[in-house]
Amino acid sequence: MFKSIDDVEKQLAKHDYISDRMLATSIYLAVKMQKPLLLEGEPGVGKTEVAKVIATLLNTELIRLQCYEGLDTQTALYEWNYPRQMLELRLQEARGEDKKAIGANIFSEDFLLKRPLLCAIQSQSATPPVLLIDEIDRSDEEFEAFLLEVLSDFQITIPELGTIKAKQPPIVILTSNRTRDLHEALKRRCLFHWIDYPSLERETRIVTTRVPGIQTELAQQLCQFMQLVRELELQKLPGVAETLDWAEALLALNTSELDAETVEITKGCILKYKADADKLKGNEIAELIKQASAAIQGNTASHSDVLRREWND
Amino acid sequence: MQDTSPSSVSAQASMFDQVVRFSRVLHNGGISVNSSNLIDLCNSFKHIDISRREDFYAATRTNLISNVRDIESFDQYFAQYWDRIFAFEDSELSEIEADGDEDSEETGSDSVFAEADAGDSQPATDESRPDAYSAEEILMKRDLGTMSEKDIEQARKLIAPLVALFAEHQSRRFQKDKRGRLLDFRRMLRSNAMQGKDGVTLAYRKKRIKKTRLMLLCDVSGSMQTYSRFIIQFIYALNRELKNFEVAVFSTRMTPITEYLKHRSVEESLDLVADYVHDWAGGTTIGNCIKEFNDKYARDMLRSKTTVIVLSDGWDRGDSSLLSSEMKRLSRRSHKLIWLNPLLGNSMYKPLCQGIKTALPFMDYFLPAHSLESLAELARTLKEIQS
Repeated sequence: MFKSIDDVEKQLAKHDYISDRMLATSIYLAVKMQKPLLLEGEPGVGKTEVAKVIATLLNTELIRLQCYEGLDTQTALYEWNYPRQMLELRLQEARGEDKKAIGANIFSEDFLLKRPLLCAIQSQSATPPVLLIDEIDRSDEEFEAFLLEVLSDFQITIPELGTIKAKQPPIVILTSNRTRDLHEALKRRCLFHWIDYPSLERETRIVTTRVPGIQTELAQQLCQFMQLVRELELQKLPGVAETLDWAEALLALNTSELDAETVEITKGCILKYKADADKLKGNEIAELIKQASAAIQGNTASHSDVLRREWND
Repeated sequence: MQDTSPSSVSAQASMFDQVVRFSRVLHNGGISVNSSNLIDLCNSFKHIDISRREDFYAATRTNLISNVRDIESFDQYFAQYWDRIFAFEDSELSEIEADGDEDSEETGSDSVFAEADAGDSQPATDESRPDAYSAEEILMKRDLGTMSEKDIEQARKLIAPLVALFAEHQSRRFQKDKRGRLLDFRRMLRSNAMQGKDGVTLAYRKKRIKKTRLMLLCDVSGSMQTYSRFIIQFIYALNRELKNFEVAVFSTRMTPITEYLKHRSVEESLDLVADYVHDWAGGTTIGNCIKEFNDKYARDMLRSKTTVIVLSDGWDRGDSSLLSSEMKRLSRRSHKLIWLNPLLGNSMYKPLCQGIKTALPFMDYFLPAHSLESLAELARTLKEIQS
């Protein structure tokens, strides 16, 4: 699967996911040690994307379980197909089968509706599937407790069928937006990684990889601008997803350089609350653009300083 | 940590010992680490190159830390502990004094308690404080300290609908119910299969009603003295209406008093509580008290659907950054966090004092509670918010 941490980093990059060493190490260890990986972070920093990319690069199935309050075992694990069972009984009756034989087969796999968790455990493929349990913080505590059981043994007991054990445990990725604290017991079973907003350099790399065709100068300016926006006091700070949306929007508008007017009309891409949008207006935008340009020039200046010094040496 | 002498940090000391020692450092620093995670960490050394600092760091962090709040202090402890050991292995001359930092930290926390104790023994200096603000503070319609029995009865009537608002919320899970409105196909097919008929007996289901739990944290410090009699009556009335209800009072320390409120008359309960709570009308260190609550009681007293009400004027003599971080912890643990403030009744009042200001971002509601009228208003506000 993965040969080393470097390998993880390289393969992720090959599939357009720019990670950092810390995340790559967590993924590598999660796969090697067969432990679930819990990813936390603000919305839009690419938590769900991690699971998708791993599934693509391992060329394996992605099984996704979206959590919500009230999610129960029937939607997460399995349910019997009652209408089909009823129909089968009628058919057997109509065929005039022996009374003892009627209904003998209705609790078999044919009548089982498999839900994500069961699918993940039953998977027969050579490479284990990736099981994405998305936004676990939205489910309630009862479900969390149940999940704990599944994640510790990777086996499920269906009373009518018996115990089903995973041939090989799936690669489990859990994501959480931290709307509430998860239970300690669940956290203990997982490796943990906090995905932060990316650094300027990493975000620029992400934008240039994910939005092909964007000019490097614009990408730099855009990301520098985003870094400054994240320092403001906003209700919801924009994530990488917003940066990418914005980059695409600017590309569609044939923008080559950020100016106050363009930012004003496209700021809906990055600010999703009215209060936040009100905070960032004409003058503030112009000021931020000025700061961003200054920062970029500062960077390149220091960079050329280094070059000059190296040259002199 | 006493045995971190150079000889014990020699290359012979096994990695596991080092990891265990490091976990103790973390533990002393307030980051709890589970032993099974230590074993996992040692197992993960098989897969990585531990001589590479960043990989070693990543593996340690991903195994031992499960909360973003701990990352910053983890980074410090990691640098303190491992960089010295690695440095030692490089050059045998360097001295290791890992104890130094810890000691300074301990004395640091001691001094916080010393301060709190000092406040406890000198309530006089504290009482002079609210007086300084009294000119702009007292605009009350009625002195709540002189409420008659009739007023209390009226208060209880006002409190009842307020409590009802808190008391119930709809679960998103279903339960069977004969008068429910939704058909429960699952049960229908199951039960009818037994009789060999299809869909004759209808089964219904409805959404479950869950009872909300309430936790009241009540400030009884000197500056709240004007309101304390009213407050205890308010608490008493709430307690009669509600089953899942816990109360704790604080000024310099947190004292749970739920069990003392089970008595028949207000006076009897009041006497008992007065006997039991020693820091009544003392100084206020809200941050420390909330911290004490988070550390000691929150685990037992709070469930995921517990609404926490803090009743305080927010005059805080303690560290305001502590208050803000503890309020943050509390808000994460509770379903809704409501701050009732008697001073908010004054139209001149703005939450300027540091205590309230730092705590504001973590509250769901910030409401007045200075008179009967304000209580009624509180009930109305809550209704508006909920509908």
